[in-house]
Amino acid sequence: MTDRLLDISDLVCQRGGAEGFTLAIDALSVHRGEAVGITGPSGSGKSTLLDVVGLVLRPSRPGRFTLAGSDVAALWAGGRQTDLARLRAQSIGYVLQTGGLLPFISVLDNIRLSRDLLGLPADPNGEKRLIDALGLGGLLHKKPAMLSIGERQRVAIARALAHRPPLVLADEPTASLDPTHAAAVMHLLLALAAELGLGVVVVSHDWDLLSRFGLRRVEAQPGGNQTRFAG
Amino acid sequence: MRLLPPPALSTWRLAVADFIHDWRVSACLVLALAAVLAPLLVLFGLKSGIVTTLRDRLLADPRNLEVMIVGTYQLGPKWFAELRAHGDTGFVIPRTRSLAATLDLVGENGRSLAGAEMVPSASNDPLLRGQAPPQGQDRILLSHSAARQLGVSAGGTVTALISRTLGGERQARRLPLTVAAILPEAAFGRDAAFVSLDLLVAAEDYRDGRDTPMAVGERPFSSARLFARTLDGVAGLADRLRAEGLEVRTRADDIEMVKAVDRTLGFIFAIVAGLAVGGYVLSLASSLWANVDRKRRELALLRLLGFPPVAALAFPAIQAGLIAVAGAVLSVMLAYGVAHLVNVSLASNLNREEFVCLLRPMDVAVAVAATFILALIASTLGGYRALRIDPAESLRDV
Repeated sequence: MTDRLLDISDLVCQRGGAEGFTLAIDALSVHRGEAVGITGPSGSGKSTLLDVVGLVLRPSRPGRFTLAGSDVAALWAGGRQTDLARLRAQSIGYVLQTGGLLPFISVLDNIRLSRDLLGLPADPNGEKRLIDALGLGGLLHKKPAMLSIGERQRVAIARALAHRPPLVLADEPTASLDPTHAAAVMHLLLALAAELGLGVVVVSHDWDLLSRFGLRRVEAQPGGNQTRFAG
Repeated sequence: MRLLPPPALSTWRLAVADFIHDWRVSACLVLALAAVLAPLLVLFGLKSGIVTTLRDRLLADPRNLEVMIVGTYQLGPKWFAELRAHGDTGFVIPRTRSLAATLDLVGENGRSLAGAEMVPSASNDPLLRGQAPPQGQDRILLSHSAARQLGVSAGGTVTALISRTLGGERQARRLPLTVAAILPEAAFGRDAAFVSLDLLVAAEDYRDGRDTPMAVGERPFSSARLFARTLDGVAGLADRLRAEGLEVRTRADDIEMVKAVDRTLGFIFAIVAGLAVGGYVLSLASSLWANVDRKRRELALLRLLGFPPVAALAFPAIQAGLIAVAGAVLSVMLAYGVAHLVNVSLASNLNREEFVCLLRPMDVAVAVAATFILALIASTLGGYRALRIDPAESLRDV
């Protein structure tokens, strides 16, 4: 299945011992360029799911887990942190709930961070396209602390997309914005990802907002101290 | 060509950017380093300066290098050759029996001096202080007191009278001599003529009534003038000669005093430096540790974005290196400034070319390198903490 960007099945992640919380991903796949919305009430394990998909939380049973052609289950089994870090850098762009920007470098340097890390050549056209689309032209030389929260989220989107990762993970990217801004930011994120052909996984408690953009919905199925995902 | 792989380059740039962005904290750490290192450099400079000045003063008087041989021995050519080859030997020349090594001098104006010592000399004789040595059997140097009593100056002439009693008959030979130079008073206190070994040997042969002299390279001598190459070599040479059964005297007490001062100051410096450096390394380590704690979110974000684990370790190490370099540069500038002030304000107690506070470039370079290495060691604690930061921490508000 070459067009499967993310493919997970039979994965279990247990947190906090026997009394703790169990996340089970029976099946989850995302095709290249596809946008998926993960929804569910708060505390239902959406964030845990995102940690696992984002390669920062080690599943207790990885099952089958591939991302952009790499066998993530094997990397976890081998404890290969540096390889996992490289896979994160190359294949995933993150848009966090808040922040997600380095306070000590300018907006422009934040946007270029992932390309610099990967040693990719400068991409003036792509960079300009993102900056113009997100309306960041006047902010490039400011430090993140001088920006409003909405501006920071737009910078975070530019940073997540600048190196064209095949998968963009967004964790409640609009939760800290008012409804008008929230819709505008979500629109920018999904429109730009679609334009660049990037797969997107958005985690949100706000299906009303996501439903407006035609995302495929994967809903948490909570039950006691266990949550299952299938989709 | 890239000097560093991209992650290392990015890590370096980010660590520097953070160091500059957080300039207040950086400045505090740099100033704290300078507050420890600059006084240590000055203290070390004082130790070097005092010891060097004491040593230079000892060295300024070449008699401190002398190993005086007391008594009369049979010292053959082999003995001299071995002594010359010894690493501690600076200058050695044979001398004859002291009874035979005197002469009477008469100046042009008729003033005379009886019983002046004949001191054999040659090039590199420390007592000559760079003057050309006496040559042949007609050119000599006079000690200051001898020249004063004879009323001659450099370039003048004197007549030497060497007398002997042979077969009950008193005889004397007159030798016209040119005074090539007069030695300063500090070089030699007694009445003396510095002569070539040839002249000394000829005088002895004449006194002993030998008409066919033995060549200088074959005959034994009864004594020698011996100078060590360095102050540290004096004791070794003296011990060696004592072991051969010769009686020798040195100014060992003066030399030992300077060495004792050096040792004592070195010991005090080591204690002060040990306490100060130990304290600073601990304080820097805890500051860097606290820095890692303050920057947990940013470091976690870097890890999330795909910076390798080693980048988290490098982050505090790079900043420690920057602190070390900036602090060391500041300290060296301060220390040189203070050293200059000390030397200027105490200049009245010093001869020219002397220092109270002496900072040698080599010592400063060692101090800077040690600072750098200790700072890197201090950063490992924070680095270890950074290494254990979970990239998932950046995904939520912690």
